[in-house]
Amino acid sequence: MDNLIYLYGIVPENEISAAPLPSFKGLDNEHAAYTISINGINAVVCNLDEAGYKETELEKKTNDPQWLHEKAFHHHEVLLDLNNRYTVIPMKFCTIYENADSLWNKLEPLEQKIAEQLKWLKNKEEWNMKIYCDDEKLRESVAAHNLTIEAKKKEIEEMSPGRQFLEKKRLDQLIDQEALKEKETFSARVHEQLTEMCEDTSVKKNWNKKVTGRNDEMCWNSVYLLSTENVEEYLSEIKSLQDKWTRDGWHLEITGPWPAYHFASLT
Amino acid sequence: MSYRQEFENKDVALIDILDVVLDKGVAIQGDILISIAGIDLVYLDLRILLSSVETLVQAKQASDRQLSSKQFDREKEELNRAIRET
Repeated sequence: MDNLIYLYGIVPENEISAAPLPSFKGLDNEHAAYTISINGINAVVCNLDEAGYKETELEKKTNDPQWLHEKAFHHHEVLLDLNNRYTVIPMKFCTIYENADSLWNKLEPLEQKIAEQLKWLKNKEEWNMKIYCDDEKLRESVAAHNLTIEAKKKEIEEMSPGRQFLEKKRLDQLIDQEALKEKETFSARVHEQLTEMCEDTSVKKNWNKKVTGRNDEMCWNSVYLLSTENVEEYLSEIKSLQDKWTRDGWHLEITGPWPAYHFASLT
Repeated sequence: MSYRQEFENKDVALIDILDVVLDKGVAIQGDILISIAGIDLVYLDLRILLSSVETLVQAKQASDRQLSSKQFDREKEELNRAIRET
């Protein structure tokens, strides 16, 4: 049966020859992973049976959430392990070639770019931060500290009971608006503070509560590329921000180090 | 304890992993291109899958019922045909 080739990532020649690839089972949990080395490019791959993983079959598989869950985790775990051992250019989930020749034809023109990327990514780490916010706490603090709202409250106190009802409703809307603004300002400030010690950063889309399954709202989702030597300082900054703000309902969730999923690029 | 030890690989949720693995990674053209439904869709599907075994069991029972009622329909049809042919 013909084999397809699944590409996990690319690692540097000198690092893989110093520390050979550990043995592990590939994506199908049958074929072992191995490296293909051509002209100094070292690709970590595994074989897949064509019958089970050709385009039409794979399309079907990816529509099965349980399969996707299991395999996306497998892809991630392999890359996490590679990232612990080597500098790595992590590929997108399910990058598959017909055969070794075809893989080589795609990688060869990128030879120089690959070398540059590996050099650039060496001794760098990706960390991700998501900020979640407790809306109730934020509304309370906005209502207590926002000058516009304070003034509005005083105004309302002097109105007739009928108008008070309407104006209180309007005030609620105003508090919502101000809370929304505050989320953006707070997160952007934190982000800016962290950016100073990073090589590169990127701000991503927020996921809603339905997706995160949390009770508090995600209000910021960003990724950071750091030199390894700056990681302690970066994390200590995060820690002090957490200590300072958790009480007020801001939760800074930090994860890492990740393979440089968001910063490695061959285009 | 270093800050790294405190934070490293801690509290990684499903969303964190899918948010990077399905959304990012170096895209160089492979021979096989697949499209994965938006990660929010995938993630919702997964949450539904993971959060409630009970729902799954109920779903299975429902589909079993559906199957058997389909089978029943088919048998009835066959019977009717047999009656017409006689």
